[in-house]
Amino acid sequence: MKQKKVMRVLSSCVLMLALSVPNGTALQDKASILKFEIWVDLDDQNKMLNGKEDIVWINKTSDAITDMWFHLYYNAFKNERSTMLQESKEESFGPLGMKVEDGEWGWIDVVSIKLADGRDLKPSLEFIRQDEPLHPWDQTVMRVLFPEPITPGEYVHLQIEFQSKIPRGLQRTGYYKNSYFIAQWFPKPGVYEEGRGWNCHEYHLSSEFYADFADFTVHITVPENFVVGASGKQIRALANESEETVTYTFHQEDIHDFAWTADPDFIKVERDFIAEKEVSPEEYEEVSRSLWIPAEEIKLNNVKMILLIRKEHKNQINRHFQALKSAIKYYGLWYGPYPYETVTMVDPPFRTGSGGMEYPTLFTAGTSILRSKDVLSPESVIVHEFGHGYWYGLCANNEFEEAWLDEGINTYSTGKVLAQAYGPGAFPISLNRIPLNRFVKMPTYYDYDFDRAASIHIVELDPIITFSWKFYNRGSYGLNVYFRASTCLNTLERLVGQDTMMKILRTFQMRFRFKHPKTEDFIDVVSEVSGRDLTWFFGELFFKTLNFDYGISSLTSKEKEEFVRGVFDQDGKKEELTKKKIRKLKAEKKDSNTQNIYFTNVVVRRFGEAKLGGDATLKLKIVFEDGTEEIRLWRGRERWRKFRFEKMSKASFAQIDPDDIWLIDSNIANNSLKRKPFRNGIWKVTSHLFYFMQNVLQLVSGLS
Amino acid sequence: MGIFRLFELGFQTVNKRIKVAFFLWVVNLLFSVVVIAPLYFLLQKEFSRSLLGDQMAKGNDFLIWLGDFIYKSRDIYPALFGWILVPMVLYLIFNIFLDGGVIGRIAVPAEQTNLSSFLSDCGKYFFRFFRVFVISAIGYIIFFGVAFRLISAAFRLWTENASTEWPLIFASNLNFLIAVLLFSLVRMFFDYVKIRLVVEDSNKAVRATLINFSYIGKRFLRAWSLYLLIGFLVVILFIICILVHRILPEAGVFFLLVLLWQQLYIFSRMWTKMLFFSTEYHFVINHPRP
Repeated sequence: MKQKKVMRVLSSCVLMLALSVPNGTALQDKASILKFEIWVDLDDQNKMLNGKEDIVWINKTSDAITDMWFHLYYNAFKNERSTMLQESKEESFGPLGMKVEDGEWGWIDVVSIKLADGRDLKPSLEFIRQDEPLHPWDQTVMRVLFPEPITPGEYVHLQIEFQSKIPRGLQRTGYYKNSYFIAQWFPKPGVYEEGRGWNCHEYHLSSEFYADFADFTVHITVPENFVVGASGKQIRALANESEETVTYTFHQEDIHDFAWTADPDFIKVERDFIAEKEVSPEEYEEVSRSLWIPAEEIKLNNVKMILLIRKEHKNQINRHFQALKSAIKYYGLWYGPYPYETVTMVDPPFRTGSGGMEYPTLFTAGTSILRSKDVLSPESVIVHEFGHGYWYGLCANNEFEEAWLDEGINTYSTGKVLAQAYGPGAFPISLNRIPLNRFVKMPTYYDYDFDRAASIHIVELDPIITFSWKFYNRGSYGLNVYFRASTCLNTLERLVGQDTMMKILRTFQMRFRFKHPKTEDFIDVVSEVSGRDLTWFFGELFFKTLNFDYGISSLTSKEKEEFVRGVFDQDGKKEELTKKKIRKLKAEKKDSNTQNIYFTNVVVRRFGEAKLGGDATLKLKIVFEDGTEEIRLWRGRERWRKFRFEKMSKASFAQIDPDDIWLIDSNIANNSLKRKPFRNGIWKVTSHLFYFMQNVLQLVSGLS
Repeated sequence: MGIFRLFELGFQTVNKRIKVAFFLWVVNLLFSVVVIAPLYFLLQKEFSRSLLGDQMAKGNDFLIWLGDFIYKSRDIYPALFGWILVPMVLYLIFNIFLDGGVIGRIAVPAEQTNLSSFLSDCGKYFFRFFRVFVISAIGYIIFFGVAFRLISAAFRLWTENASTEWPLIFASNLNFLIAVLLFSLVRMFFDYVKIRLVVEDSNKAVRATLINFSYIGKRFLRAWSLYLLIGFLVVILFIICILVHRILPEAGVFFLLVLLWQQLYIFSRMWTKMLFFSTEYHFVINHPRP
């Protein structure tokens, strides 16, 4: 007991030092419950990492904790019995599977794991598999038992030695020749959730990550000719001349992962994002008005932007920085200032499988040598991956269980930033990696259009809120958590208004920075900020597989029959209106130039299963041939409803949702119905298809 | 005779037989109508009474209507695919028939060309050319199934250890270029077989093919240069077409200009198809077998 007490006192000091926040940083809210100090050597020849890891973890819950679970992600590449490679084999969406060639396996071994007082925990080490369906050979999650429980408020100090074989460029990490991108590489504790235990899932094919906020100090030793980039700020570089190596030390507080890259061929460029230069007072004012926040609270911080780029892409350096500046500016203005001092943008090393991925304060972009200026690539990936610094990095949701919270919100946010900074982008067209946009006129589009077109096909397969590895296949995972979620959020924006949506996302971001928000938290913020109960919106569109499709079923305009046959009471007498009399009356009426009256009937229908709730209504607009309009509102709960109008003119067309609020509608074509067909557009499209087919046939005839 | 002189002769012959290019264009038009008609009716059904149809006319909301259309047509993809594939195969076979008319008319410079003489030649040579088509299929299988695969595998080996993207770009483009050149070789070879069958009025496709090996073998560079010269012209025409297409406005009545330009280009493709045969015909006439 005595020894334990001494250890506690000593470790308390260590922890207090470790978790103290330096004055003057932008980090207002100290979130870290972990401190890592890692020493890692890169063995370039054998593609190995040799590491030591000091972890201090504090139990901030009210539970007494008897064990600790760790992710050993590299074991996903150990053999074909890992959960990830099993899932890859079973993947029905072929192109998204993955294959490891002989000699390219990766793994991680925990050589030793001890408490700081020297007590060995390794004998208790066991691998855990809890995700359904079970993969009994997976080794990506391990557990060790503590000799005695860690009581609330107590901390534990662990010392781990590990050895990792780096896989050849695979899922987000790996090497190719002497280029490295190193991610998910060290034993990393799961997240302890009070009352529920450790949340520590296996490494799945369709899943990303979840971890607690921590302070990292990482010493990376590499051959001296390597250029290194990593999460956080480089604080030291010490050359070891006898071994021809350099040890780089990086430090960053309040992040939940640490990735690094090393490549002798990188060009390293640093530039500053100077908030004063990038954002005008008018822009601050405008956002201040939209958000109802004083302009001073919106002020952005300066950020050191670091780019590691391959030599063959150096002509795109400005393009990379321009995109990053736009991202820092608009994410910062709309959702809250970027709180870290640095951001490192990595042009992923060739064939390392690491492109387009986010890590705290570091992300990988992705480009190719020949890029068209009209196509927003690499801009879109830069904005998106930087954006993850907000949605995943700062608002650190559980990506295993609720991936939409970062991917969906970030896909939506990316679209907003790209639209603001660049306008619509053109579809790419290329032949053998040579872009042809300069020669061929391609349509342009905004991201929200693309997201909708991609996601309407997936609605009946899985709800957006599904555990990542439990989606039907990777296609369903991607289309749901990225595109369908983004389309739903674009719909929500149109429903509550742009400014309110911005307020919602800013409130969510600032309230849950350095925390682990869940879907319920987001829904609460939506309802709170919008002042409307929008639980139904998420119930219908996020938790269920319901198709949303409202439309006009029919539209008719008929002349009101003023004269009808039969016997009528007239001045106390019975008078019969015969066909002959009616003809005569009609002729008289025609001569007197009396205007006709028309009955217009419009039937609106709910074709899909999803229905409106709360205070939401659908607007119905009917435009008449004389230019007049009628507007009606429909609550849309029932399957159909008929609206009747008596007007001096026939209807020209009827339209529901004329303000295009319900972007999620899977059939926008039936949202309007004209009384008379108009075929110009169809002729135009058909003529293009026709010309295309003429060319195809001409090519085919070449085989004759 | 030099290849430029042969080109000139071929050019003059084609221009005298411009009606044939017109026939070819009409056939292409009709087949395209057959393929596209169901798509037109589907589009009409979905969009003619929708305001989205108006947006289509303005060139707006491309992804909205396309997304809708793909989503709504998902149950009929197999039928649509079949509908497109069958006319394509028929068009291929019909072109074997038309080739007889094209070469037959080129081979009788003194005669007038009309639809009936053209069709008569089509019928006359169809079965001979069909046999050539079957033999040529073997040629394509050898070149693309074996030679091209080997070349592609060599490129893959070359790029396997690439350190940058450049070798991949070079390799894929070189690979593509080789595919085009291989295709041009096979096509040229069987063009000459067909021309030989017409010039010698022979029914023996296999014999003509065998003879052609030694005939082309002895004059390979000259024959291939001539072929590539016209191929180069096709590429130039294609580039002109897309560049002009890019600058043509599509709004309102200007769209008629676009349609006109598109058909002009398709017509030019028919014309170049004839130019291939015509120059090859003059090549055979001016380089007789000993």
